[in-house]
Amino acid sequence: MSHSIAVDRALVVIAFKRRLAYKSHWFFGLAIGGGSMLIAMVMWQNLIGSGTLSGYDWDSMRAYTIIGFVAATMVFGAADWTMADRILDGHVAVDLTKPVDFQRARAAEYIGSMLSTFPTAVMGVVAAWLLFDPPGPVSPLAGLLTVVSFAFMFPLAFGLTYLSTLVCFWTKRYLGIMWLREALLSFFSGLMIPLAFMPGWLQAVAWALPFPHFTTTPSAIYLGRVDTAGALGLLAAEAAWAVGLWVLGWLVFRSAVKRVTVHGG
Amino acid sequence: MPILEAQSLTKTFRRPDKASGFKGAVKHLMQRKYKNYTAVDGIDLSIEPGESVAYVGPNGAGKSTTVKLLTGILRPSEGTVRVMGRDPHTERIANAHDIGVLFGQRTQLWWDLPVEESLKLLKHMYGVSDADYKRRIEKFDELLDLGEFMPALARTLSLGQRMRADLACALIHDPKMVYLDEPTIGLDISVKDRLRAFLRELVNDGTTLLLTSHDLADIEEVCERIVVIDKGAIAYDGSIDRLKAHYITTKAVNLYLEGAADVPELAEKFPDYEWAAGEAPSEVTVTYESGRFTTAEVLGSLTAQLSPRDLSLSEPSIEDVIRRLYAGELTK
Repeated sequence: MSHSIAVDRALVVIAFKRRLAYKSHWFFGLAIGGGSMLIAMVMWQNLIGSGTLSGYDWDSMRAYTIIGFVAATMVFGAADWTMADRILDGHVAVDLTKPVDFQRARAAEYIGSMLSTFPTAVMGVVAAWLLFDPPGPVSPLAGLLTVVSFAFMFPLAFGLTYLSTLVCFWTKRYLGIMWLREALLSFFSGLMIPLAFMPGWLQAVAWALPFPHFTTTPSAIYLGRVDTAGALGLLAAEAAWAVGLWVLGWLVFRSAVKRVTVHGG
Repeated sequence: MPILEAQSLTKTFRRPDKASGFKGAVKHLMQRKYKNYTAVDGIDLSIEPGESVAYVGPNGAGKSTTVKLLTGILRPSEGTVRVMGRDPHTERIANAHDIGVLFGQRTQLWWDLPVEESLKLLKHMYGVSDADYKRRIEKFDELLDLGEFMPALARTLSLGQRMRADLACALIHDPKMVYLDEPTIGLDISVKDRLRAFLRELVNDGTTLLLTSHDLADIEEVCERIVVIDKGAIAYDGSIDRLKAHYITTKAVNLYLEGAADVPELAEKFPDYEWAAGEAPSEVTVTYESGRFTTAEVLGSLTAQLSPRDLSLSEPSIEDVIRRLYAGELTK
């Protein structure tokens, strides 16, 4: 057991270092993420003014936008294409000769890659805090549960990314799948506009998917839009999705590995 | 008991049957058609512990596909593989502990990290102790000069350095069964020589080796047994010496005469030998059956009657035999 944990840790560290090797990624991530956050802030300030929109006033919207920024930085900053590239260019053959569980090794790498977004997220949050002075969490407990909700983003983002990269075994292309996943995530997470602004049936669709947990869930807990019981329910839903996506990934891999075709060399 | 055993191993791939151009693409979109093609066709192979086997064949013969089947990367369409008693595909992780694999065309180094980091990660994966790791790295350094590029980023290595580092990666856990798929591809003579010396040492230490290569010198210098595969099926399986003894039935002498050689006249004079013009007008090649004449006899009669300026013996080459095997001239 301790041996496989050492492998996990080594994979996390190596993926983290690989991302840090390209410092320009960071600055771009910060510039794009920070820029989007600024634009959103200006937009909401003008739209909401001193009133409220579907239960959001300008105070809560500032916190919401910062939470969205952190989620986006974590999810979009992770190097998801490296997994897909290895499947597409045949390096997956090398991965399959290693004495480690494929899914677990990819998860460790993905977590390392997600952790590398940490400095960007911290810098962005500190700057936003200084500029916009958002309200704190509705209670210390809510603050703690928000952090838990963010922690669930690791297995959730990995599960979605892993499944979409495994599709490459069939499609032999990744770009379209990545765009689809990112579009669905941006829309149904509440990253573009809060889910509360959408018609009821569309909200129902969103909540049937894992995506709302990437912005709506942590912000709802943080802002007290759900009570403690509601917050625990949302976290339970996140845990269920994390397990479900892991099992689904395992099943899809079992079928994908039978389809491996690596030609030439 | 064999360390590796494959029985009627077969791999069939499905390939889209698509006409070229835009029309073909649209047609394929509407009505998908596929063609099956068999890359490996009923191979039986058994390797004993400590054997060094060359797996040889022309491009597209199914060599790499076989290696991928034997290492558990691909699932056979038919037939079975057992490596140390395990099915390498269904028991992939357990099998991976005991094998070392090198794909000459695909690196296992992490591209944007120092070589040392890749080796350390593999150390963790295989659970190699600190003492063993240190000892093996020292040995690799001695034989492959690893030290000079251990701190370098993998993407900055030359091909020769990369291959040496990859070889270290494949062997860091001291595997019992090693598969090397074209380990000398694209390397210069001096690196090849070093790699071959290293592989000979590996074989002498008792490691079982399966090597694919297009370079016949790799095969002759490292392996004792050769398996020739063509169109997915085995064309020859036996020792290299037997291959030579069996198929190299003629020898040749090159003569350098004083004046221009008259080939028809010489052929008439020595009807027992075969005569062919050489590169220069004064050069001529004499081929004779090694079972009928000794080299001394042939040289004696030729030098006595022709008094050539110089002569040289052509070494019987395995390359010729394999070329003829590929061309389908020889049968098992």
